[in-house]
Amino acid sequence: MKRIYGAGLVLALGAGLWACTPTVRVEAPTEPITINLNVRIDHEIRVRVDRELDELFSEDSDLF
Amino acid sequence: MKRMMIAGSLPRRGWLVLLLLVGLAAALPALALDLQQAKSQGLVGETASGYVAPVTGASPEVQALVEHVNRQRRAEYQRIARANDIAVADVEALAGKRAIERTPPGQYVNVDGRWRRK
Repeated sequence: MKRIYGAGLVLALGAGLWACTPTVRVEAPTEPITINLNVRIDHEIRVRVDRELDELFSEDSDLF
Repeated sequence: MKRMMIAGSLPRRGWLVLLLLVGLAAALPALALDLQQAKSQGLVGETASGYVAPVTGASPEVQALVEHVNRQRRAEYQRIARANDIAVADVEALAGKRAIERTPPGQYVNVDGRWRRK
């Protein structure tokens, strides 16, 4: 009987402590990934090339 | 028609051929690993150059995969450059940007010479 009381006390204390400790999470702020393009081409060509590249990088491509 | 022999009773020639094939298979790094798998395992990632690269210490298998993919990509970039009358370097730069944009979160990308997880 005493053993059950002892175990219960330990459990209660444990639960109490667990409830008291705040969870502190430290996360480094992630800067956005920026890519500086230095490509000088006509807008029209840029659009066309982007479209062709999108095909290359589509989901069913084995090159991406 | 000679009866087919199996297992321990293979004619000597059969064993030699088998040994040769096994030897060849062991010598060539197999392309059993595909690009998607390698990426999701964090072994390779996209770079701003438009090509893939190993993230850390590359096994022969990873190296073979990277070379294989990049070789094919280079051919595609050259084709696109020719078709649009622009420099291959420009296509590569545009490709690099696009590839990084399309990389799903959790995978690695190399920007400004640094590997980071998206």
